[in-house]
Amino acid sequence: MSLPLPALLGALAAAQANEVAPALQMLGQPGAPDTNYAGGTAATSALILMIAAAEAAAQPAREQACADAARPLIGDAAEGRDNRAAALGKLGGKAALALLRAEAQAEWAVLGGLALPAPVPVE
Amino acid sequence: MPAEHLSRFLSARWGEPVTISGLKRFHGGSARQTYRFDATSPSGRHEALVLRRDPPSSLIETDRLAEYRAIECFAGSDVPVPEPVFCDTGADSFGSPGFLMREVAGGMAAGLLEPEPYGDHAASIGQQFFTALGRIHAADPARAGLPAMDPADAASARLAHWEAAFRADAFRPEPLVELAFAWLKANMPPPPARISIVHGDYRSGNFLHDGAGRLLAVLDWEMVHPGDAHEDLAWACDPLWSNFSGKAAACLPLADAVALWQAASGLTLNPVSWRWWRLFAQVQGLVIWISAAREVIDGRSHDPVLMFAGTIPYRFHSLTLAQALEAL
Repeated sequence: MSLPLPALLGALAAAQANEVAPALQMLGQPGAPDTNYAGGTAATSALILMIAAAEAAAQPAREQACADAARPLIGDAAEGRDNRAAALGKLGGKAALALLRAEAQAEWAVLGGLALPAPVPVE
Repeated sequence: MPAEHLSRFLSARWGEPVTISGLKRFHGGSARQTYRFDATSPSGRHEALVLRRDPPSSLIETDRLAEYRAIECFAGSDVPVPEPVFCDTGADSFGSPGFLMREVAGGMAAGLLEPEPYGDHAASIGQQFFTALGRIHAADPARAGLPAMDPADAASARLAHWEAAFRADAFRPEPLVELAFAWLKANMPPPPARISIVHGDYRSGNFLHDGAGRLLAVLDWEMVHPGDAHEDLAWACDPLWSNFSGKAAACLPLADAVALWQAASGLTLNPVSWRWWRLFAQVQGLVIWISAAREVIDGRSHDPVLMFAGTIPYRFHSLTLAQALEAL
């Protein structure tokens, strides 16, 4: 339930070549017109790289756990995020929703390595 | 954006040669490319200006004239906005549609992941922020050049807008969004007491403050439209914009924010509408993040800002929407 890792990695590679590398060359040059943009682009790109690395490390175990949890409800459709999501959505009901929430929670937890806490309700 | 381009444009408008210096593009803000620069002429005229123009690939499709008119509507009022200067809906002036405003000196904006972005001034900023929102909602939409709208259409129009965006951009099964759309359609809120100017992206991070407790300018009006004021309030109070503080807009307890908004708008919070628009806010957010991811997946953009939108806010709203659906 997020930008798929292969697409993210491909886009990051393109960003390194087309955005970040030129941006880094401008850093430290006070007269460069896009220094602010260059710094922000490089910093955001670095954050995305960290997320991609965390996601790559966490994804296999998360996939296994989510598939195992969903198999009793949807059988073989539990394999693979998209199959599982479609099947749980079609099934509906509290149990399916709880599994979808648990997977969203596990996806957010990957970001815990970046020191992001859990969402806090505004109530 | 070469300085020569701006120099040529302003020289023609000022009737004398204009020198451009200090040209800087701001990072972030995917709906527009934003630049600041200083313009100086031999007669001694000097202006610090900001240009917002359309990018090649945008997170959201928006109308720059509507944005400009909204800023014009509140210029010089008790809703602080930058001073508008010139708008070109074509590509002649700036290479793509865009507009000029005077720079708001000394302004800073909060980052999404910044803890306690307003420090000791959070309560003061929150008071001004939610009072300004109420004032926006007290204004006549016709003054901002917005089209008339039947109050009965306020919710259904927004639902249709974001569902169309979702159907166009979804790239994988999204059962949480589907479930939310189904609930929203089955539980439409009552029409608002009146149609308001809805800013469309009123939140922490979309205004400038001086770092000492003063709100300087409300920015980013590109999603302005006529509608139900609850829409803006729910978006402003969404947990994503609380910087993990549990406070509305990372500033105030929710009850205080609502009280300030009610006092300034003259409107009364409708609990049924509020419940609906709060869920809607999360759906809207998720669709925006899905659209951002789609831009990247389809190769139309490799802007890290869109990648950010397609990961952190995307996961945030997936989780909070799932929790909200469980609580219904």
